[in-house]
Amino acid sequence: MSASDLPLSLYLHFPWCVRKCPYCDFNSHALRGEVPEDDYIDALLRDLDFELERQAESRPLLSIFMGGGTPSLFSGRAMKRVLSEVQKRLVFAADIEITLESNPGTVDEAHFAEYREAGINRLSIGVQSLDAERLKALGRIHDPAQARRAVEIARRCGFDNLNLDMMYALPQQTVEQARTDLQGLIDLKPDHISYYQLTLEPNTEFAARPPALPDDDASWTMQEQGQQLLAAHGYQQYEVSAYAQTGRQSRHNLNYWGFGDYLGIGAGAHGKRTMNGEVRRRARQKHPRLYQEQAGTAESAQEDRVVAAKELPFEFMLNALRLNSGFAIPTYEARTGLAWNADATGLVEARKLGLVEEGDGKVRASALGQRHLNTLLTLFLD
Amino acid sequence: MKQENIRNFCIIAHIDHGKSTLADRFIQICGGLEEREMQAQVLDNNPIERERGITIKAQAVSLEYKAKNGETYQLNLIDTPGHVDFSYEVSRSLFSCEGAVLVVDASQGVEAQSVANCYTALEMNLEVLPVLNKVDLQNAEPERVADEIEQVIGIEASEALRISAKTGLNVVDVLEEIVAKLPAPKGNPDGKLQALIVDSWFDNYLGVVSLVRVINGRIQKGQKVRVISTGKDYEVTMLGVHTPKRVFKNALETGEVGFLIAGIKDIFGAPVGDTLTMSGNASVEQLPGFKKVQPRVFAGMFPVDADDFEDFRESLQKLRLNDSALVFEPENSGALGFGFRIGFLGLLHMEIVQERLEREYNLNLITTAPSVIYEVLYNDGTVKKIDNPAELPDPGMYDEVREPIIDCRVLMPPDYVGSVMQLCMEKRGSQKNLRYLGSQVQLEVEMPLSEVVTDFFDRLKSVSRGYASFEYEFSRFEAGDLVKLDVLVNGDKVDALSTIIHRSVSANRGRDLCERMQDVIHRQMFDIAIQAAIGAKIIARTTVKALRKNVIAKCYGGDLSRKRKLLEKQKEGKKRMKQVGSVEIPQEAFLAVLGMERKKGG
Repeated sequence: MSASDLPLSLYLHFPWCVRKCPYCDFNSHALRGEVPEDDYIDALLRDLDFELERQAESRPLLSIFMGGGTPSLFSGRAMKRVLSEVQKRLVFAADIEITLESNPGTVDEAHFAEYREAGINRLSIGVQSLDAERLKALGRIHDPAQARRAVEIARRCGFDNLNLDMMYALPQQTVEQARTDLQGLIDLKPDHISYYQLTLEPNTEFAARPPALPDDDASWTMQEQGQQLLAAHGYQQYEVSAYAQTGRQSRHNLNYWGFGDYLGIGAGAHGKRTMNGEVRRRARQKHPRLYQEQAGTAESAQEDRVVAAKELPFEFMLNALRLNSGFAIPTYEARTGLAWNADATGLVEARKLGLVEEGDGKVRASALGQRHLNTLLTLFLD
Repeated sequence: MKQENIRNFCIIAHIDHGKSTLADRFIQICGGLEEREMQAQVLDNNPIERERGITIKAQAVSLEYKAKNGETYQLNLIDTPGHVDFSYEVSRSLFSCEGAVLVVDASQGVEAQSVANCYTALEMNLEVLPVLNKVDLQNAEPERVADEIEQVIGIEASEALRISAKTGLNVVDVLEEIVAKLPAPKGNPDGKLQALIVDSWFDNYLGVVSLVRVINGRIQKGQKVRVISTGKDYEVTMLGVHTPKRVFKNALETGEVGFLIAGIKDIFGAPVGDTLTMSGNASVEQLPGFKKVQPRVFAGMFPVDADDFEDFRESLQKLRLNDSALVFEPENSGALGFGFRIGFLGLLHMEIVQERLEREYNLNLITTAPSVIYEVLYNDGTVKKIDNPAELPDPGMYDEVREPIIDCRVLMPPDYVGSVMQLCMEKRGSQKNLRYLGSQVQLEVEMPLSEVVTDFFDRLKSVSRGYASFEYEFSRFEAGDLVKLDVLVNGDKVDALSTIIHRSVSANRGRDLCERMQDVIHRQMFDIAIQAAIGAKIIARTTVKALRKNVIAKCYGGDLSRKRKLLEKQKEGKKRMKQVGSVEIPQEAFLAVLGMERKKGG
């Protein structure tokens, strides 16, 4: 398998939100005034053209993810335009997965119908919690009723592949509250649930003024009860924070975790492409205004580098060991271009500590390794 | 320089009483440095000394002073350390002087260390000039402090100069008194060469550099000199003085102090305290330069990375060159691997050695809790000294354990007598004497040395708000009801965590130690049982609960470099830890056995 056979995805970033959430460390900016829809989409397309000029792409896109920020601030018309323009430049796989992230506070029925019409076939809704108190503490713009309504509208508009995000270990949250919250989410019967722990990230409002969070033991109990609850309702965990009904795993995210390739287009977007055995990472200018000015020129690159071969094992593990199923050794070799070394120091140490399981040419984190993934990963740092 | 115009002197002062400032003033008045070259406190030229405001190593500056009588004098100021740990350095420095300037802070009064150093100077027949410093301060009480000097030290002080080293007030008068009152060096200029090695240090470019005091005869460039103890001959390639700038000279005359370089490459070639003579002068005797001091405190030091062991050995050898008090021998710990058992003069000495090893030699070390030397009387009547608690045999094998007892002097204002006494009693001290001297009180106490090497200094400072000063000397070994307290981590005894303590406090300390360990050992992937034991009996236990998880919650193809940094930081954090079995034990754990009193509410 040559490197150019690696699966390819496309990530499109939409950097605006109604308001910046205090825990969020993604590249998002509070919106002042109207969304400059046409200008921004023009910039995205210049950016994509520039990317494809540097290296043409014949691989079919297996998925597109429109993330943010809040992409649902953009109209259906705008999304329709961007997708049809992308399709003029790249081949879509027959069963392409196209996901749009949306905020329950920005949902309106007309928009959603247009999104579906534009070819978007998967919605990811940032519910985060169904508890009004917690939502307030998180600085969210929506309330539980709006979240429920968003799910209803999505279904009505024909979305049959729905992801809902929920966080646990929220400020002041008890184990019992976390359980009720998750049960409420499950009752909405989404196809996929991202259930992840709130963590304080640097350069966020929460990092500067940390709220009181449940301790290590309580957070762990929440995770364990969550895993049980989700499993009991048919949601199989396939990654640290991802759970899905059969056949509903996120193809796009699986491609990240499988160390596949992806084009990253939009303000602050990160891309990874493997060419001639070299893994190249590119990141765009983060600031929306500057991005729009620079898109389509070499100036817009915030980072553009070939990943050193010695860093690849760590980068691969950082992604692949997140998956419950781990990875197959041939996949490792194909995606890193490196020969598998069963006696590598990190791997030997990981075995000794009982952090990995191996067999049938596959490698994955053991139960202990899943819980202490960071410790496992440090063993692969060069 | 005419021999009668040379003055060799040192300054005796308590930390912060203004020794360095006064030295700076002398240098300035004598024109040793331009104003712009004056880096504050020139003499403390080791960065650690400068940071801590103390002087560790002897140094010397040679100044030319034109006195009011029209004569020019060579004033050699030999620096002395100001901390109780370094009294051996003091006696060596004093031997190279004829006089001493005793600097006392006129707002604070006499402190115990100055008293001890002053006694040593008087025993060595040095002329002592008392000087009252900081008279510019509002709360200065020169009359009271002069009175105190007379009562505590017993030297005439009514005429003592009132100065301010900071403003320069009356500093010239101090130089005049040095010229007028301190004797010139005796010594025979025509005699056979006899020179004391006051200090030696290793310079990466020059090799071994020694500070020497010529007692008799003269040293010339190009001559061959012999180090008496080793019998080895070396050709003198460079001679000179520090003004404090380095100035080369062709000869050092009788009574002079300067540096000497003689192509000595071997770091043991010029032992501090040794005597130099002319090659071939077989009959010349060793000077009684210094008495070999015995280290009182011992600790194991182990490289975190076992590969650093040889570097560690080499670094210690280099350090020993100008720190003759440093003794070490290889130690093999079951828990920590190969390292060295190192003897120190005291806790400060230990801290400084560790800091120098880490800073100057770039070593990453784990230091075990310091221990004193014990004498063990075995069943068969033999007596053996042990400096490592892990070596104490099973209780059935010996009749008694004897611990070192020290005579201590604490000097303090009367307000603190009660709390200081209480502290000394808590440390198993017994009071010998209590005297009112001027406005201060001198308390004489006998205490086990082991009680002083834990947290005594910190406690003394806090109960007396820093006003009490402390000085001690070794007295004797005495049998005590002592037991060995072991620490077991996940059932395995960690030899490096063993301590010898008095039975009466063992239960409390065991419990306390377990709690401290629980605080400093990070939660890991599994539960860690920590037990304190005396012999086979477990007296306390705690558990460090397993860390439930350690996972990055979100990772979606975006910025991997931040996640990488996060994990690199985690990896870096392990560097200061030692893997004992499957448990990572941080440096703090080894020192936790030291500070036994739990700090409450602090």
